Amino acid sequence: MIIAERKPMKELLEMVSDVKKLLIVGCRGCVAVCSAGGDKEVSILSAALRLGVKRAGGEIEIHEDTLVRQCDPEYIDPLNDKGAKYDAVLSMACGVGVNFVADRCPDVNVLPALNTTFYGANLSSGEWKEMCAGCGACVLHLTGGLCPVARCAKSLSNGPCGGSQGGRCEINPDVDCIWQQIYDKLSSMNRKEELRQIMPMRDWTTAGHGGPRRRIREDLLP
Amino acid sequence: MSKIKGFCCNYTLSVEVDALKEEGLVPEDLEIERLPCTGRLEVPEILDAFTQGAEAVFVVGCQVDKCHNLSGSYRASKRVKYAKKILEELDMNPDLVEMFFAGRGETEPVVEAARTMASRA
Repeated sequence: MIIAERKPMKELLEMVSDVKKLLIVGCRGCVAVCSAGGDKEVSILSAALRLGVKRAGGEIEIHEDTLVRQCDPEYIDPLNDKGAKYDAVLSMACGVGVNFVADRCPDVNVLPALNTTFYGANLSSGEWKEMCAGCGACVLHLTGGLCPVARCAKSLSNGPCGGSQGGRCEINPDVDCIWQQIYDKLSSMNRKEELRQIMPMRDWTTAGHGGPRRRIREDLLP
Repeated sequence: MSKIKGFCCNYTLSVEVDALKEEGLVPEDLEIERLPCTGRLEVPEILDAFTQGAEAVFVVGCQVDKCHNLSGSYRASKRVKYAKKILEELDMNPDLVEMFFAGRGETEPVVEAARTMASRA
């Protein structure tokens, strides 16, 4: 899922410093699952902003709403009329949601409440880890299902590098060297010899280096 | 809003707050809100207490391993922890909100909590 986290309160208070009537809109998609922007977080942010604005000597009227998703038009489009009645709409969706509101709701002054961080998995309650970079050219079939693009600090296609020591990455001793793990995983599957194949230079255009990406599935088009 | 706001679960405080005030055991400006369980308490209610004028807020729940609802007071303690983080972000003293634990029907820990928070306010 997409992992995000709330922006620092100071940044948010600065963002809404001229706002008198604010609508905070959560999203029940990924950001609700990673406890960043669901119903509960909307309610907490609303209370925190009320307190912060009051302490700064200001006044603000805050209303709350949460959409099923902020990345589908059927949920977003009604926000154009509703959001236009507010000085600003503070979206607690990931960056996709904020962009989608900005694209489809021209009458809405949309602001981001979250920093969108990565595609990750939930390790335990309150802990998430990056697992995918969304690079658009998956090589997991060659690496035992472990991603060298997202999980190697250098995104090496042919690792490990000289900084791999004792199974750890040189950037941080708490970070596993994913290439060591790939080697161990393929060895345990009797596929170690496959690592002798040099992976060709990657074409990073699929990773967004060729501009914003788009996917079309013609059988589903209207 | 009183200056000191307390949230207590139904199983801790067994004496009416007014009686404690008459005895001079707790500050006059103390307000206690009883909850079925402190696990019911959410972060916004803690923050709203400050917005409404409280200078310090405390929560008293069952001892963690003896919560009537098993994990209610543990959940409350985690919410208090998050409320502290938000207070810090707002340049407020995080010690202005605190979690306390008390045995079933014990009044003394609640009195002590109220006094402690009054000294911090």
